[in-house]
Amino acid sequence: MNTALIIPLLAAAIQSGTPILFATLGEILTEKSGVLNLGVEGMMITGALAAFVTAQLTGQPALAFLIAGLVGAAVGGIHAVVCLWFLGNQVVSGLALTIFGLGLANYLGTPLIGQSAPGFSKLAVPFLHRLPVLGPVLFQQDVLVYVAILLVPLLWFFLEKSRWGLHLRAVGEHPEAAAAAGIGVLRYRWIGILGGGALVGFGGAYLSLAYTHLWTNGLSAGRGWIAVALVIFAFWRPGRALLGAYLFGGVMAFQLRLQAVGTHLPSSLLLMLPYGLTVAVLVFASWRNQQTAAPAALGINIEPND
Amino acid sequence: MPSINAYRRQEPGPWSSCLVFLAAVVLSLAVSALMLKLQGKPALKGIELLFQGALGSRWSIEDCLIKAIPIFLCSLGVAIAFRLQIWNIGAEGQFALGAIGATWAALTFPEQPWFVLLPLMALLAFISGGLWGLIPALLKLRMRANEIIVTLMLNYIAILFLDYLVYGRWKDPSSFGFPMTPTFSASAIVPKIAGTELNWGLAVCLVCGLAMWIFFRFTRMGFELKVSGENIQATRYAGLPYEKLVCFVMIVSGGLAGLAGFLEASATINRLQPSIMVGYGYTAIVVAWLARLNPLTIGIASFLLAALRVGVENLQLELQVPAAFGGIMEGMILLTVLAGSFFNEFGFRIRRRS
Amino acid sequence: MIRRFAMVLCCLMLALSAGPAFAKDFQVGFVYVSPIGDAGYSYAHDQGRLFIDKMDGVSTSYVEAVPEGPDSERVMLNMARKGYDLIFATSFGYMDPMLKVAQKFPNTIFMHCSGFKTAPNMGNYFGRMYQARYLSGMVAGSMTKSNTLGYVAAFPIPEVIRGINAFTLGAQAVNPDVQVRVVWTKTWYDPTTEKEAAKSLLDVGADVIAQHQDSPGPQEAAQEAGAYSIGYNSDMSAFAPKAHLCAAIWNWGPFYKEVVDAVRNGTFEPKAYWYGMEHGIVDLSPMSSMVPADVQKRVLAEKDAIKSGQVVVFTGPVKDQDGKVRIPEGRAADDGELLGMDYFVQGVIGTTE
Repeated sequence: MNTALIIPLLAAAIQSGTPILFATLGEILTEKSGVLNLGVEGMMITGALAAFVTAQLTGQPALAFLIAGLVGAAVGGIHAVVCLWFLGNQVVSGLALTIFGLGLANYLGTPLIGQSAPGFSKLAVPFLHRLPVLGPVLFQQDVLVYVAILLVPLLWFFLEKSRWGLHLRAVGEHPEAAAAAGIGVLRYRWIGILGGGALVGFGGAYLSLAYTHLWTNGLSAGRGWIAVALVIFAFWRPGRALLGAYLFGGVMAFQLRLQAVGTHLPSSLLLMLPYGLTVAVLVFASWRNQQTAAPAALGINIEPND
Repeated sequence: MPSINAYRRQEPGPWSSCLVFLAAVVLSLAVSALMLKLQGKPALKGIELLFQGALGSRWSIEDCLIKAIPIFLCSLGVAIAFRLQIWNIGAEGQFALGAIGATWAALTFPEQPWFVLLPLMALLAFISGGLWGLIPALLKLRMRANEIIVTLMLNYIAILFLDYLVYGRWKDPSSFGFPMTPTFSASAIVPKIAGTELNWGLAVCLVCGLAMWIFFRFTRMGFELKVSGENIQATRYAGLPYEKLVCFVMIVSGGLAGLAGFLEASATINRLQPSIMVGYGYTAIVVAWLARLNPLTIGIASFLLAALRVGVENLQLELQVPAAFGGIMEGMILLTVLAGSFFNEFGFRIRRRS
Repeated sequence: MIRRFAMVLCCLMLALSAGPAFAKDFQVGFVYVSPIGDAGYSYAHDQGRLFIDKMDGVSTSYVEAVPEGPDSERVMLNMARKGYDLIFATSFGYMDPMLKVAQKFPNTIFMHCSGFKTAPNMGNYFGRMYQARYLSGMVAGSMTKSNTLGYVAAFPIPEVIRGINAFTLGAQAVNPDVQVRVVWTKTWYDPTTEKEAAKSLLDVGADVIAQHQDSPGPQEAAQEAGAYSIGYNSDMSAFAPKAHLCAAIWNWGPFYKEVVDAVRNGTFEPKAYWYGMEHGIVDLSPMSSMVPADVQKRVLAEKDAIKSGQVVVFTGPVKDQDGKVRIPEGRAADDGELLGMDYFVQGVIGTTE
């Protein structure tokens, strides 16, 4: 693997990591409010389908992108109903949402396999795209890549510096104290779930509008789960989520390039790399996480009191 | 001004869980009928075909039973893990490892008589699956790694490992390069029950179900497990061996899924090939949650979800419904049961504000 | 309590499950390994099914995305029990299950695609796709400037390897210096992985991308990079009009009609049918205008030569990647060698695992 291939690899890493980044940011938002939503895969793929269908019907990729967010939020809303209203177990509800979401998207999307839809293409940022190294890597991507990057400081600002974000985090750390202080626990959890779902939906939209312009059953291919793992790796911080997402995008792109260059390693083993790396990274992050960075009330439902 | 207050019941109502399940099934059928309508298929006819395909003849009921065997075993294991609040999503990978372990025995000792080879295959399947389940348990205990992610990633790795073996060193030389092992020798195949298409894996299910019932009813560890699930903190304070329980639970959980893999490879396909993986490990999650720790209800739920799969095939054949239809129903049933359980656990009181 | 409930539920369900299905027309069933909409392999078979569906007195049906193994056996049993007259199963892994079902239903005719077993009521069939691949290789070899061709391939099974080899031989026939680089995706239809694989080949210098995949992902990648592409299964030019040169396509309709007619006439023979271009089962789609006229002429001439039997693809000398002679000079490989091909020819860079 010589140096001339590193630059295309980095560019591919960013493209490949962008859907994961959207999803990771979304799940961070949800978990910060104290809700564990494992339905990321289900929300991502329904978002991808919604984006694809909208783009086909209207020819407007930007609209399709937004609709995907709405659909992602709506699917996340199911989780909110089951867990916040009916106090369903959050872990199982998320899993059920994944099974349901995958089934729904694959079912409705089966007639659309093999078709294409208008989407986003790569653009060249004026002047900057001529920079050596950074030019092709960072400044010749499609617009959604930049949207995702922009969301990182935005989410950080919301969580750390805004009043709403403070309330949301309080609800995730000490819901009883927050309630006593007059902060609506359920309200902020709804915001966390719906907002998170929308971001995950955006991630799905990226897959069918920008990464490819196609649809197939199972388009998300496990990226939702990697996002859930990355939230832990990122210590629930948006900045590190960016790093993690691009790292994983890179690994996925890397093993294919290794084959292209010519290797004797069996491809089955190479394909294990992203998953093995996820485990390694998760273990490392959890082990080093002496003072837990997870929101204290994560995954615990609020019972009605008498 | 009256207000409605919810309070947690001491004991969930006895009839309520059945009612909730029934309501969940009905609601899911209704949503599925709607889905059919959305695709322009006749809704009522579709539901009728679903039942007909699954239960309309002796062969289809047998098919449901055959399919229920691996689901049942995986679900037993997953249910035990869930009881301790260990979210074992890895039944799929443990299933694969079990199949691999059994296949190794079948390919290495094909000449052995069946009463030596079959138990050996079962043992190796249990051990391989169990080890694959132990890994996430250890990572959880030592490194506090979230078992949901670890077990899930191990699923992908296990399937790729299976691919690696059947594309490589275990590939049948007479298969014209297609990825599959040689057919197992006759003594490595779990035989069919005479006069039917069912295989003796059914007996394995009965034995395991019984063993589980005895374990939880009459043994100390079973009691500890049942109690520990409620409140992990209390468990530790009470001096119960939480770490040991976690390891035990994951080994058993993985081992049972491994047994399912052995049975599927030996009895149904008679060899190892990538298409042995059809998602039983994920269906097991649904069953385990629906049926909790009662082997009988696990059996019924396994049968019903197997019937769903068989019925959906009929739906495909007659109405050209896409294959993903079954996933919608599975997910819906679980979601509605989850929501409905609220009414099991909470009662309502109307209060007048003074 | 729960037992009573369960019994009630079961009775309810049994009550709703009555009535067998009747067979009136000549019923043909198809079993597909993937969803049909993928513009790919199963899609091509389904186009064939739609072709015979139009025939008088023939009704067809299909089940898609059937995993190989016991599920497929059950599906075929279901069809046979419902009185289907003719069943086609379109993936290698259906072979043994189909054999088991065929033995139980001697009055039904079974046809298995891409396999090698037969029975008194079961035959097998396939198409010599490698002939079309050879021609597409000639086109690719003529159009490349970097002399590196990229091949996005699904699984290292003989038909895929055979296709890659034929493609390489065709390219080398017009351009002896070409190299073909292979990337395995381990999936039949996943546009994201396939597109990424194509991009990785483009990054190492390939300027024509061919594929043994069912999605147009690689086509998209080629167009975005300004490179050329060769499609598969069906004409994929709609997805990449600026890149798509031609495609190696299936045309099952006429063959399926032939089988249906034979079964209805009672002239069906349970043997191995491996037809090629002369029967029209495989073909090269019309070449894009980007291909120069003289190249098109040469390729079409070669196509005629293959159809007439003058030229036989896989005639020696053919060496493998290590330089060993696999097919000696002057001899054409026999069907057995082709069906079990597990090595790459010289000029291919990649592993067969």
